[in-house]
Amino acid sequence: MGPRIYAGIVALLTLLTAACAEPQRQGAETVTDDLGRSIGVPMPALRVATLAPNLTEIVYSVGAGDRLVGAGAPDNHPRAVDTLPRYSTYPVDFEALAALQPDLVLATTQINTPRTAETLEAIGIPTYFLSFSGLDDVFDGMETVGHLLGTAVAARAAVDSLREQAAELRRITARVEEPPSVLFLIGPETLYSFGGPSYIHEVIELAGGRSITQDLPAAAPVLSEEYVLSEGPDVIVGPWSSETGTSDLLENHPTWGVVPAVRDGRVYGVEADLVARPGPRLVAGARALAKHLHPALFAAATTDSN
Amino acid sequence: MHIVRLGSVLVVLVTISVLVGVTFGSEHVAFETVLAVLGRRLGLTSADPSQAADAIIWSLRMPRVVLAAIVGGGLAIIGVAMQTLVRNPLAEPYILGISGGAAAGASLFYLGFLPPLLSRAFSMPVAAFLGGLLSITVVYMVARTDATVSVARLLLAGVAMAAMMGAITALVTFASPEPDKLRAVLFWLQGSVSGARWSSLPLPALVACSGLVLLIALSRPMDAMLLGEEPAFSLGIPTERIKHILIGLAALVTGTLVATSGAIGFVGLIVPHIVRFFTGVSHRRLVPASFLVGAVFLIWADLAARTILPSQELPVGSVTALCGVPFFLALLRRKHYRFQAS
Repeated sequence: MGPRIYAGIVALLTLLTAACAEPQRQGAETVTDDLGRSIGVPMPALRVATLAPNLTEIVYSVGAGDRLVGAGAPDNHPRAVDTLPRYSTYPVDFEALAALQPDLVLATTQINTPRTAETLEAIGIPTYFLSFSGLDDVFDGMETVGHLLGTAVAARAAVDSLREQAAELRRITARVEEPPSVLFLIGPETLYSFGGPSYIHEVIELAGGRSITQDLPAAAPVLSEEYVLSEGPDVIVGPWSSETGTSDLLENHPTWGVVPAVRDGRVYGVEADLVARPGPRLVAGARALAKHLHPALFAAATTDSN
Repeated sequence: MHIVRLGSVLVVLVTISVLVGVTFGSEHVAFETVLAVLGRRLGLTSADPSQAADAIIWSLRMPRVVLAAIVGGGLAIIGVAMQTLVRNPLAEPYILGISGGAAAGASLFYLGFLPPLLSRAFSMPVAAFLGGLLSITVVYMVARTDATVSVARLLLAGVAMAAMMGAITALVTFASPEPDKLRAVLFWLQGSVSGARWSSLPLPALVACSGLVLLIALSRPMDAMLLGEEPAFSLGIPTERIKHILIGLAALVTGTLVATSGAIGFVGLIVPHIVRFFTGVSHRRLVPASFLVGAVFLIWADLAARTILPSQELPVGSVTALCGVPFFLALLRRKHYRFQAS
């Protein structure tokens, strides 16, 4: 074998090593998160941890799941999270995070507190806060995460696909002439709901409904029985199991027999993780809700496409 | 016990507690690694522990343990001051509603009157101080008739003020434009030293240590106050001024500590009782010994809070309440409880 062959082998090995190595760090960048905090982050972040399940879903959806160094205790989607080491996110287990050594932590204003960021900063880990008060915030958040983790192209593709799915759903539900009024409750026993600006109203609208609580000033209002009686929603939905129905609501709220939703048996449960997490599965949540609200439309849609 | 011997025993106890406190946590770190981190950080050895171990031991556990020591010590000496003020061993900042008032003041601030990240370092303790001051002033004025303080009135007024301050906290929490912080506030109202950083320590340390120095300086007049206001006054003690100082100091220290770590109750009740058993009622010994024992007590309570449940943390306030309430009830059962003489 001549020296050229050796040179060729060396070149090939170098190439292979380079290909197998981790993506190269290009440097650092100063970014402003949704809390208006200015933070220095490594670009792209190669080791990331999240403090909420929807953020974990977002990281996977933008094709950066392999960057996660662990998963929070409540994370359950996608199933790949089961292979990751777990840490507590409420209260945040700082020691576990220090041991996992992420170079970026993603947090959300809906669940985490700025205080968390201060402690993480003290051990040299930057924290980026995302805020989701609408569907567009989720899409923008996905692109932001893609940018931070160096998977901007995949993130864009994922967002485009979700936007297309949302548009398709909207084309179907646009045929509804008079959207039913919808009350979204957190649970059948209590009267917690969503007010103010929230993604849930957009999900309901996308599903061909009209959320009655969207104009309430408080972001997390506790409604009164009287409010529900006087608003008389056509449909009541919540993140509960499909077994929960009108009888459960009547048991907890005996006066609601006159509420149209309860009277007509239009009480539906939607899988909690689809509608209670502002993440990439919201469009699927909207679709699941739409099928409850307008079963005829979807029966027709299926027939059309066949 | 001789004061030097007592002092050295306590210093050894504090050191051991700190060591144990930084050795255990949610992540397992070998004891040699703990020593290596401490040795390198204190400039004693040139060991080279991993970055993660250094962050866990030196940047997370150590400030947490030191904060627990400061808060425990501070609350314990304020317990002593309150008990002397009302000449009854059942007084305590939490029971008298100071902690509740401070928590109400702090949550009023935390939930939306000023941006949370910028000026919180100083504004929150000030708000907590004012809340605590309001609470203790009302309680004291209600409980006091002429020169005597009625114990029943004191405790009832404390309960009432604590309930009112709790209601104010609930009100601002529910009315807050940022209800998402509710969980955070809840955890914090139950008291916790979780998430402590070195940079969060200087203010509570300064305030607690100033309180310690001031109370040691006041130990003679405070000894005299135990005899009763009139005898103290006839000894030339400016009793009114001393009382104002004690009330102001209690609100200041409790407010600062509540702003940092939430309302942690019953430390000021349990600790002075145990300490009096060894030191007697003389404040010259009681105050510094209570500070050290309070530090040890809260370090261990916090250790329990973060290790009792696997991979989950409890608020340390629930641990101290679980120990403190039975203690308090047992004291209430005793008729004519008086300060124990050594």
